[in-house]
Amino acid sequence: MKAIAVNGALARALDFRNYGVNFFAGALLALLTILVGAPVLMVMLMSLRTGFPGEGGPLTLTNFVQAYTDPGTYEILLNTILFATGTVTVTLLFAVPLVWLLMRTDMPLKGTVYVLMTVGILIPVFLRTIAWILLLSPRIGLVNQWARQIFGMEQPLVSLYNIPGMAFIQGVSFVPAAFFMLAAAYRTMDPALEEAAYTSGVSKLQTFLRINIPITLPAIAGVMVYLFMTAIAVFEVPAIVGLPARILVLSSLVYTSTNPPTGLPNYGLAGAYGGIMLAAGLILAYFYVRLVRQGKKYTVITGRGYRPREIALGKWKWSALAFAMLYLSMEVFIPFLVLVWTSLLPHLRLPSMEALSSVTLKNYVTIMDYAGTRPFINTAVLMFGVPSVTMLVSVLVSWVVIRTHVSFRGILDTMAFLPHALPSILLAVGLAYLGLAYRNVFPVYGTIFIIVIAHTINWIAYGTRTTNSVMIQVHRELEEAGKVSGASTPRVLGRIVLPLVAAGVFNSWIWVSMLSYREVTMALTLYSRKNVVISTVVWQFWGNGWVPEVAALGVILIAFALIVVGALKLGFSRLGEYGSGS
Amino acid sequence: MIRIRGLKKWFKTRHGQVEALRGIDLEVGEREFFVLLGPSGCGKTTTLRCVAGLERADQGEIEVGGTTVSSPEKGIYVPTEKRDIGMVFQSYAIWPHMNVFQNVAFPLIKGRRQIPRHQVAEKVSQALKLVQLGGLEDRPATDLSGGQQQRVAMARAVVTEPTILLMDEPLSNLDARLREQMRLELRKITRSIGVTTLYVTHDQAEALSLGDRVCVMNEGEILQIGSPQEVYSRPQNLFVAQFVGEMNFIRGRLSGDGQVESPFGKVRCALPQGCQRGSEVTLAIRPEHLTLQPRAAAGAACVEAKVLTKNYLGDAALLEVDACGVNLRVKLAGDAAFAVGEKAVLVLPPDRWSVYA
Ligand SMILES: Nc1ncnc2c1ncn2[C@@H]1O[C@H](COP(=O)(O)OP(=O)(O)OP(=O)(O)O)[C@@H](O)[C@H]1O
Ligand SMILES: [Mg+2]
Repeated sequence: MKAIAVNGALARALDFRNYGVNFFAGALLALLTILVGAPVLMVMLMSLRTGFPGEGGPLTLTNFVQAYTDPGTYEILLNTILFATGTVTVTLLFAVPLVWLLMRTDMPLKGTVYVLMTVGILIPVFLRTIAWILLLSPRIGLVNQWARQIFGMEQPLVSLYNIPGMAFIQGVSFVPAAFFMLAAAYRTMDPALEEAAYTSGVSKLQTFLRINIPITLPAIAGVMVYLFMTAIAVFEVPAIVGLPARILVLSSLVYTSTNPPTGLPNYGLAGAYGGIMLAAGLILAYFYVRLVRQGKKYTVITGRGYRPREIALGKWKWSALAFAMLYLSMEVFIPFLVLVWTSLLPHLRLPSMEALSSVTLKNYVTIMDYAGTRPFINTAVLMFGVPSVTMLVSVLVSWVVIRTHVSFRGILDTMAFLPHALPSILLAVGLAYLGLAYRNVFPVYGTIFIIVIAHTINWIAYGTRTTNSVMIQVHRELEEAGKVSGASTPRVLGRIVLPLVAAGVFNSWIWVSMLSYREVTMALTLYSRKNVVISTVVWQFWGNGWVPEVAALGVILIAFALIVVGALKLGFSRLGEYGSGS
Repeated sequence: MIRIRGLKKWFKTRHGQVEALRGIDLEVGEREFFVLLGPSGCGKTTTLRCVAGLERADQGEIEVGGTTVSSPEKGIYVPTEKRDIGMVFQSYAIWPHMNVFQNVAFPLIKGRRQIPRHQVAEKVSQALKLVQLGGLEDRPATDLSGGQQQRVAMARAVVTEPTILLMDEPLSNLDARLREQMRLELRKITRSIGVTTLYVTHDQAEALSLGDRVCVMNEGEILQIGSPQEVYSRPQNLFVAQFVGEMNFIRGRLSGDGQVESPFGKVRCALPQGCQRGSEVTLAIRPEHLTLQPRAAAGAACVEAKVLTKNYLGDAALLEVDACGVNLRVKLAGDAAFAVGEKAVLVLPPDRWSVYA
C-alpha cells in the first residue's frame, strides 16, 4: 500500500508538465528577485561601506552615524513630509471633485476633459515645472516681469521657489494618475447606495457626507497613501525648483550625494539616506495594499440594474466646467503655451507687438547642432526596448499568477508589485553602484542598457497590474479547451492566451513606451556621455541656462508624444484608462 | 395612492433616442399591492424610478398621495428625498460601512421624517422584528447573506412608514426556495403595515401570487390591467396571453356565422370586436383546460389525438399531443395514465377558447 502511495506521489512530482510549469515559475521568480533585489541589496550594501564603489573594505555604520547625527537631516525629513503632504492635498483638491463631475454629473464637454487629462500625463513633469518657473520665477518669470512693468513693483509678486510652490506643481502633475485610480474605484460602486439614501428622504448634502464619502474613503485613502509614497520618491520638482532654492528633500539629497556639484560622490551617505526612503516606501506600500483590500469589500458588483444616473447640475453646469478648465490650464494649457511662446523668441520676454516681430523658428533649427543624433537614437532604443521587455515579463508573470496553481504564485505577484514601493531614484542609484562596483559581472554602466534595465524594473509593477486584470477577463475555459484538445502549455499560451490579451497588452505597451520616453530621474542618475536621451538633454540645456532651446526641445517632445498617442487612440478608445500607473 | 397620467420618457443614448415609456396611465388605490409585469426592457424599472423621482419624466403627471410630484408641463418636479416613499432596490443597496442597526436607523435620523433620538432604537427594533431579523442589530452589513440583506432593505424601506412602497425585483437575487418563502412574507408585511405598494417583476408567477392587481407592460406601453384572475383567464391580447402562463395557439379563420374555422372544425366562441368576415384570427386555449380521455363521451367537442411526448412533473404531467395535424400541449394530473404513442380523445371545452385578431 505504502509503496503505491509513494509511487503515486513520485509520479505526480515527476509529471513532466507540472514540473515544467513549476520550473518555469521558479525561473521567473528568480529573475524578478534578482531584478528587484539587486538594486535594493546594493543600496543596503553601499550604506554600509565608505569610499568609492568597488573599493571594498569592512562593513561599517559610519554612514548612518554621519547621516543621522546631523541636525540638517531632520530638517530635510521635515521638508520631505511637508512637500509630500502639500502635494497630496493639492492633488486631492482637484482630483476628487473632478472624478465626481466626470463620473456622475452632466457637466458639458466631459469627453474633451477626459482626453485632455490623458494629455496631461504625456507632458513630462520636468517640462511643466520649467514652464511654471518661466512664468513665476522671481527674477525672469513672466508674471513678475509683468508686475514690475505695470505696477513698478520692486519685490516679485509671487515666487515658486518654496515648499508650497513645489507642492503646487507636483500636486497638479499627480492629478491625472489620482483621477484614473479613483475613477476605477468609483466605477465599481453601486449607484443604488446613493439612491437608497434619497428614497429614505436624506438630502443630497447629507447623502454625500454620510454615504458617498464614507464608502469612497478606503479608495481615497488608498490613493492618498499611494500619492504620499510617490511624492516622497519624486525627484524632478525637488531638483528643478528645490535645489536652486536650497530646499532639499530626501530624493534630491540622495541625488546630490551621488552627483555633488563639487567634490566627490558619496555613495555611502546616499545609501544611508536612501534607507529611510526605502523603509517609508515599504511601510506605505503595505498600508496601500491593505486599504485596497478594504475598498474591495465595499464594492458590490451586481451587474444587473447597474446604470449610474447623471446628476443634473442645472445652473452650476458652467461653474463645473470652469473648474475643470481651471485645472486643465494649470496642467496643460499654460505650461504648453509658455513653452511655445518661449521657444519662438531669442530670449524670454512678455508678449508685445515688439516681441511678436522677433518671433523666429531659429531655436528649433539649432537644437540639432547642440544635441546631435545620439539622444534620439538612444530614446528610440528606450521606447521599444523597455515596453517590450516589460510586457513580456508581465504577461508571463500574470499568466503564472492568474492562470496556474503554482504554490508560490502569491510571492511572485508581490515581488512584481514591489517596484511600486521602490523609489526610482534609489533603484537607479543602486544599479549605478552595481555597475560601478561589479563592472566585470555587470558590464553595462554608462550604456543605454542600464537605463533600459532600470526602466523595466520600475514599470514591471505597472505592467503586471494591467496584465493581471486583462488575464482575469479571459475565461479560463478558453484555455482549458485548448488543453483538452491536446495542445502543450507553451502552445496554449502562445496560440490562445496571447492573441486574446493582445489588445490590452498592446495598450500597456504604448503607455510604458511613453512613460519611458518622458522619464528623466533614472536616466539622469545613470547618465553618461554615451547614454544621453532626449529628456536628459533638456535637463542639461536647462542647467546651462539655454532657455529658448529648452522650450523648443520641450515642445517637440510633447508634440511627438501627442501625435503618437493621438494616432493610436483613433484605434484604441480605451487608452486613457491605462494611464494610472505613472 | 399613486396616479400616473400620460407618462412618457425618452433616453438619449449615443445611438439616438430610446422611447422607454410611451404614455403610461395607471392608478394604484389606497393600500393596494400593484404589480408591474413585463419582459426585460419593457420599461417597468423606468416607471418605478419616475415615481421615485430617480428619473425625470419627459411628459405626463405623477401624483403620490394626492399631491403632484412630477409634471414637466407645469414645471413641477419634487426631488426624491422630498417624496413620501420607501424603496427596495434589486441590489438591496445596503450601505456597506454601516451595521444593520445603522442602516435601518439612518432614514429616521437623517431622513424626511426625523424622530426624537430616544425613539429611534424602538422603531428600528420594531422594523427588524417585522422582517424577522431581531437580534442582528450589530452585524456589519458586509457579513449578511443575500436573504438577510433583502430583509434589511425591507426594514429600511418601511421604517419611516411611507405612504407608498416601491420595489424593483426585490426577490430576483435570491435562490428559488428562499424566493417563495420571502414572497409570502412580503405579502404579510405589506398587509400588516397597510402600505400602498408598487412592485416590479418579470416573473409571472410572482406577479399573480402577490398582486391585488397586475399590470402587464410591453415596449413602454400598458397592455392590460386587472386582477390576477382576470389577467390570467381573460388576456386582452395575444401578447398578454402568451406572456402570462402557458397557452396553445391555433390559427383560424372567421366564418360567416360568427364561428371560427379551425383544424378541429368550427369553434363557437366570443369574438373580438371589429373582425371582418374571412379574416385570419388566432385561437388560444390553456393546456390545463384541455383533457384527454380514453374514448369519446357524448355531448363534448372531441377530436382524435396521439400522445407525442410526456413530461412528468410530479404533481402534473405535461403532454404534447398531435390532433388534426396541430401540436398542442395538455396539462393533466400527475397520475394520468397516457403513454407516449398512445391514441386518445382530446376534449375541447367550448367556453375556454379566446380569440385574437
Ligand atoms: N439610463 C438609460 N439610458 C439609456 N437607455 C435606458 C436607460 N434606462 C433604461 N433605458 C432603456 O429603456 C428601456 C426600458 O428600460 P427598463 O430598465 O425600464 O426596463 P425593465 O422593464 O426594468 O427591464 P428589466 O426587466 O430587464 O429590468 C430599455 O430599452 C432600456 O434599454
Ligand atoms: Mg428593471
